[in-house]
Amino acid sequence: MKRASLGRFMVLGFFLTYMLLPLLATVAFSFSVRWDRTILPEGLTLDWWQAVVERRAFLLTLRNSLFISVGAMFFSVLLVTPTAYWAHLRVPQAKPLIELLTVLPFGIPGVVLALALLRSYARLGAAIVYSPWMLIAACMVLALPFMYRPVANALAALNVRALTEAAQMLGASWVTTLTRVIAPNILSGVLGGALLVFSTVFVEFTLANLLVGARFKTFPIYIVEFTRFDARQASALAAISFVVAWLTSLAIIWVAGSASRGRESLGPR
Amino acid sequence: MSERRHAPAWLNKLSVWGALLPFFAFGIIMEVIPIITIVSASLTDPGHGLSLVNYQRSMAPLILQSFANSLRLSAVTALLGVVLGTLVSLAIVSSRNKLLREAATALADVATNFGGAPLAFAFIITLGSTGVLTLTLKEFFGISLYPAFRVYSVSGLVLAYLYFQMPLMALLIQPSLLGLKAEWREAALNLGASTFGYWRHVALPILTPALLGGFLLLFANSFGAYATAWTLTGPDINLVTIQIAALIRGEVQLEPGIADAMATASLGIMALCVAGYQWASSRAARWRL
Repeated sequence: MKRASLGRFMVLGFFLTYMLLPLLATVAFSFSVRWDRTILPEGLTLDWWQAVVERRAFLLTLRNSLFISVGAMFFSVLLVTPTAYWAHLRVPQAKPLIELLTVLPFGIPGVVLALALLRSYARLGAAIVYSPWMLIAACMVLALPFMYRPVANALAALNVRALTEAAQMLGASWVTTLTRVIAPNILSGVLGGALLVFSTVFVEFTLANLLVGARFKTFPIYIVEFTRFDARQASALAAISFVVAWLTSLAIIWVAGSASRGRESLGPR
Repeated sequence: MSERRHAPAWLNKLSVWGALLPFFAFGIIMEVIPIITIVSASLTDPGHGLSLVNYQRSMAPLILQSFANSLRLSAVTALLGVVLGTLVSLAIVSSRNKLLREAATALADVATNFGGAPLAFAFIITLGSTGVLTLTLKEFFGISLYPAFRVYSVSGLVLAYLYFQMPLMALLIQPSLLGLKAEWREAALNLGASTFGYWRHVALPILTPALLGGFLLLFANSFGAYATAWTLTGPDINLVTIQIAALIRGEVQLEPGIADAMATASLGIMALCVAGYQWASSRAARWRL
């Protein structure tokens, strides 16, 4: 038993170090005067952060990335939620087809999706195929599995038919039923899916680089550019990206946690 | 309400399916048409119809090498990911400290979604020639990583990929590990098996489908990765995704046919992995009833 717990301690220690060291090193590096000769940084400074934040391109690329990720999140919710609800309630025969389309993206590498979209739609003109809207749609494809699964799971855990019939019997329209009755009950699934879409798209480099590139520079493209010529400022940018990713992930965990607590408080069903 | 009841059945059915139209239109425009376009273009010789000429021209050493490199990198990181991820998951589920269990699972959850440019850069900061860990090992332990090791190389890529492969496996295998019933272990031990014997003859056979499924998903995950490799090693390492991206950007002489053939071959490899994963995970789920 002693040996087993020593082994467990070492495995978890290794895991925590592996997962945290690169992140902590990057954050510490962004505050260091110089840290390439000595074991500890030669003093602390905010210079790199200031230099990064003062650049016009910083706010511009951050805004572009927010536009793409919020856009992809918004349209994913709008496209997937009603579809999942309607298929669940009225057209269960359509479910395998929907599931196929939502699993397919797992098998399409980003570079292949970019190539396929360019080869299919280049003749529509650069204004369409290289536009931010095309990037949003492509990111939605990539994030489709992350949006559909939580919503479908939330619907499966709910007696949708009884709720819908009760609402309709009381005179609610379809829109009212969906927004006032169903939506609040599957909110945690929708929210969890939406946040996953946001965090996936916010760091998406491949599609952004190959579809829009310099025409609509996103934050990850900006980071990669910086890593080529200024490591310190790049580390500040990477730290921002880590913070966004961590905050979104914590929000996802919190949403999932509060959903299961909510279910527990209802007791066994 | 009453008018709707009198509508012909087919019209009713049409309107019921019609509500799914936006989703299917999106799927067809953004997934089905693009995939069919490159697959059929890869099998066509312009002006001559159906042909394998694009695949023949793809048999160039550089392209064959990129497939060999990508397959090997995927196999190595998937195998290491399966072994390390399973060990981590085992340590997590057998831990008696609830807070530690939840924190480690949450960490795995977050790290799985990490990747791409910032992660690759974090590895340069940590393990580059003047990286934090490189300096620490040199000063404290007298171990010089360089020049034997370089983070901008295949071994650096393996370490960076493991950052998301290991936690992904830890999450994938967790339900199966939790599904190993204490009764099975007790029964095996009561019948005279050693702990090793229990793992070798009872637990491992039960876990095999889940381990196989995890391997396939990790393999696909690594095969399709691009951003991490591009940030860390640029064009230095010849991978399939790096080659396709270079063809798209027109950095090499534009040969759409070759790009189509490479993309179609990648889709085939990915499809085998994802289909294998689905099959294996349905087998794995049988034990969790």
